[in-house]
Amino acid sequence: MKRKGLRSLLPAVCLTALASAAWGCGDASDGKIEVEIVQYKPEAANYFKTVEEAFNASHDNIHLTISSPNDAMAILKTRFIREDYPDIIGIGGDINYSYFVDADILADISDYEGMQDVNEGYLDIAEALELVPVDGTYILPYAANAAGVLYNREMFEEHGWQIPETWEELTALCDEIAAEGILPFYFGFKDTWTCLAPWNAMAVELAPADTTKQVNKGQTTFTDEYSELAEKYMALLPYGPDDPFAYNYNDACTAFARGESAMYPIGSYAAPQILSVNPDLKIDSFVMPASDEKEGRTLNSGIDLGFCVTKDCKNKEAAYEVLNFLYEDDTLQKYIDAQTSVPCKKGNFELSSLLDGMTEFIESGNMTDYQDHYYPSEMSVDALLQTFLIEQDQDAFLRNFDTSWQRYNRDIIRMVQEYEAAHGSAE
Amino acid sequence: MKQTSTVGKSNKLVLVLLILGLSTIIFPLYMTVVIAFKQPSEMTNSISGILSLPKVWSLQNFREAMEVTDFWNSLKNSLLISGLTVGFSILIHSIMGYTLGRNKSSKFYNFVYLFIVSGMFVPFAILMMPLAKQTAEMGLANWFGVILLYIVFYMPMNIMLYSGYLTNIPLALEEAARVDGASTWLTYWKIIFPIMKPMHATVAVITALAVWNDVMTPLIIMAGSSENTLPLAQLNFQSQFGTNYNLAFASYLLSLIPILVFYLICQKQILNGVVNGAVK
Amino acid sequence: MSKHENERKRTFLLITIPILALFICFNTIPLIRGAMYSFTNSRGFGSHDWVGLRNYIDLFSDARVGKSYLFTIKLAIVTTVVVNVLSLILALGLNSKIRAKGFFRGAYFLPNILGALVVGYIFNYFFTYIVPALADMTGMQGLSSSILSSPSKAWIGVMIVCAWQAIAMNTIIYISGLQTVPEDVYEAGGLDGATGWKQFKHLTFPLIIPFFSINMVLCVKNFLMVFDQIIALTKGGPAQSTESISYLIYNNGMSGGQFGFQSANAVVFFIVIVVISVAQMKFSSSKEEQL
Repeated sequence: MKRKGLRSLLPAVCLTALASAAWGCGDASDGKIEVEIVQYKPEAANYFKTVEEAFNASHDNIHLTISSPNDAMAILKTRFIREDYPDIIGIGGDINYSYFVDADILADISDYEGMQDVNEGYLDIAEALELVPVDGTYILPYAANAAGVLYNREMFEEHGWQIPETWEELTALCDEIAAEGILPFYFGFKDTWTCLAPWNAMAVELAPADTTKQVNKGQTTFTDEYSELAEKYMALLPYGPDDPFAYNYNDACTAFARGESAMYPIGSYAAPQILSVNPDLKIDSFVMPASDEKEGRTLNSGIDLGFCVTKDCKNKEAAYEVLNFLYEDDTLQKYIDAQTSVPCKKGNFELSSLLDGMTEFIESGNMTDYQDHYYPSEMSVDALLQTFLIEQDQDAFLRNFDTSWQRYNRDIIRMVQEYEAAHGSAE
Repeated sequence: MKQTSTVGKSNKLVLVLLILGLSTIIFPLYMTVVIAFKQPSEMTNSISGILSLPKVWSLQNFREAMEVTDFWNSLKNSLLISGLTVGFSILIHSIMGYTLGRNKSSKFYNFVYLFIVSGMFVPFAILMMPLAKQTAEMGLANWFGVILLYIVFYMPMNIMLYSGYLTNIPLALEEAARVDGASTWLTYWKIIFPIMKPMHATVAVITALAVWNDVMTPLIIMAGSSENTLPLAQLNFQSQFGTNYNLAFASYLLSLIPILVFYLICQKQILNGVVNGAVK
Repeated sequence: MSKHENERKRTFLLITIPILALFICFNTIPLIRGAMYSFTNSRGFGSHDWVGLRNYIDLFSDARVGKSYLFTIKLAIVTTVVVNVLSLILALGLNSKIRAKGFFRGAYFLPNILGALVVGYIFNYFFTYIVPALADMTGMQGLSSSILSSPSKAWIGVMIVCAWQAIAMNTIIYISGLQTVPEDVYEAGGLDGATGWKQFKHLTFPLIIPFFSINMVLCVKNFLMVFDQIIALTKGGPAQSTESISYLIYNNGMSGGQFGFQSANAVVFFIVIVVISVAQMKFSSSKEEQL
């Protein structure tokens, strides 16, 4: 009877036995130093595969592995919690970077010599992302993207339309386009994140770059800083399709690619998707004009991909060796070509013709980061914007923005104010 | 005489209704197939455009999709994980369902039943982080750990199904065997286990399907390993800034085939194992 | 007899203990560990502080969370009713003597296997372009714009897709339930003149009540925890009108930095579903006993 009872344990025993058998594999290094990169842009997976191969072919002492998983943020967070840190992570310059710096996961890489070649504009942007000022540099900005307005170049040439430089010129142009029976803008607001594109692009001219920081310090409110922005955003809506909330990003890309609208206010990152539908389309871009003055204009651009070395990385020199390889002009140029993005490195790079309208700003380093890089994702500002655009209630939107901000950022605000109390008087 | 004619009539009606209902399935399936064969440049927002047949019927998308997902390797992993999960689920969950289903009068077993069944309602999000940590600590951050977790995740639902099925299987069957001196353990495997065949098939289908399509568990548990299951590999087709629907649809059509075949095999079992003769 | 009783008891105990241990190890313990985070301001990684009951107090004053509960419960109730009615009818149809039964059973199973990406794309297309076009042709004003772009109607779209996908699984469970109904019950019923609706109500249905209650519990649970369809179809929009509880927990807790707060949400949510489901099971088991 005992024996029979024991047999019920059999499955459990089997499980344990199998478990120990499955464990214990995964050590493939043959004396080489292993360096692992996890980067968050799955669309660049092919590029990174070639980088990996080229690196391993030319290095005998280091073996590089690059993975480009989808939902990399979930994977990174999971790995952090089990204290299994990749050596290098490739992430964007957004709120997650701020959190990682704050969580003390990243190593200071200001001693990396390649830092000298970085376009200062992007180093400033990276520094501004720190929740409270921290000594050191934690990210090597690699590539940037820019948001503005994409336009159908052939359509513009055909009708002789001029690139607008002020808000007035923009609305005048839209009226002109509409008068010809063409839709000026396409929007894909069903995907809430696309609501942020025009918002960010106009915000760089209408709101201070450090609005969120000022709010955290208690110096201003969003109601004060964003009201012109919100008003102008609402004014754009009539120039788009009838029910912009019915269409998603993909619909909007397809529609623009098929010539259903003259312009599409979105970032340069949309180009590959648009061109996949219509490879012959000639797209160019211009900086979104939002203010009435031609002076003081700036391009909306932020770090799309940067590399951070984790504190846990065993061999920093090997990691720097990998960074050197990634930061070579040739390697970077290939990335830019593949992703139609902007290099964060100084030097002569060939930019996609898509960015012609923005080159002047890029070369002079005249750029301002996306506002939304400071928004905590759980606050879902994109969804708040969508709600605002549907309901058209500006006061309610801004009020909600202010109260939500206080709620979602409570711990950060406390941290900032503690920091101010400790350092503010000293400076 | 009269009876058979009404049966015949109502069956025709049923057939007509079933065919009508089928349109809700044929249409999406048609779209899936058509898109899977098209090129990205054939995608439009106009209805006639999207419903039209592809210009060329070429298997290029399927070939490319198989390459991107490393199809055979991912398929092997998916089959391995689904197969083992289903096998262990049937063995473990059925006997647990039997144990709990036959002891409903006992306070202890009733509590265990409710305890396990309530495990079904734990939001996965709250388990994710602790499980990621725990499996790593136990050296289970691999496909085996994934199987183990599946056995636990689907235990509540399957136990519920098995013990529900048992209510219609009379105790008399076991008692007869017991009189012959067979132990409970043997009685279970010799008499009850075979009788539950339709339920095994049902459990197999439901569990296999849930495992086959699951992304989250392998994503979290196997994060950082280079092994992929099919749904994990299929994530490669989509990113925020661009999705290749044509390749993705081709790939989904491919991964649909094994599970459909499995279902067709199982559904025969659901029917064949009718308890009729055995009951009462 | 008592020797048998002892043997039986011992076997049952020896079966239960290891399986229960496995369950506790990979379900209960991580749940407790996860619940601990609900008393912190953790982002999911890095250091965190203990904040006591702050997250729970916040939870009850958070309008967004409240809205998500209302939406989810509404969706779950309506979808459960729709799915159970339709899949019971479908199961009876597929279980009757018809031609090409195997084909139909296969076909009706398909919605279940199509991946979320495919389902999302097709139904987005359907609601955005096809339904409005059909409405224009037939002159139905109410449907001439996409229901997914309307905050008051989008939940119907989500409901349709949830039902469309879930019917297959519920049908299978009903079909396997119908297999436990012995033929002779029908024969006996046929002699008494019970056909059609009467036969179903008095003969078939009482016998498949255990499966009915399983389906009810599974449906309520699945739709209360709806996540995939939301991601595929609306991502919580428009105007945050279709944010389900699971969506909030995942989106803000896992992807976002609200891990501690959403853990509290998950704990409360867990308790709510357990209460609903246990009540459901108690109710249906009392029904079973009556019959």
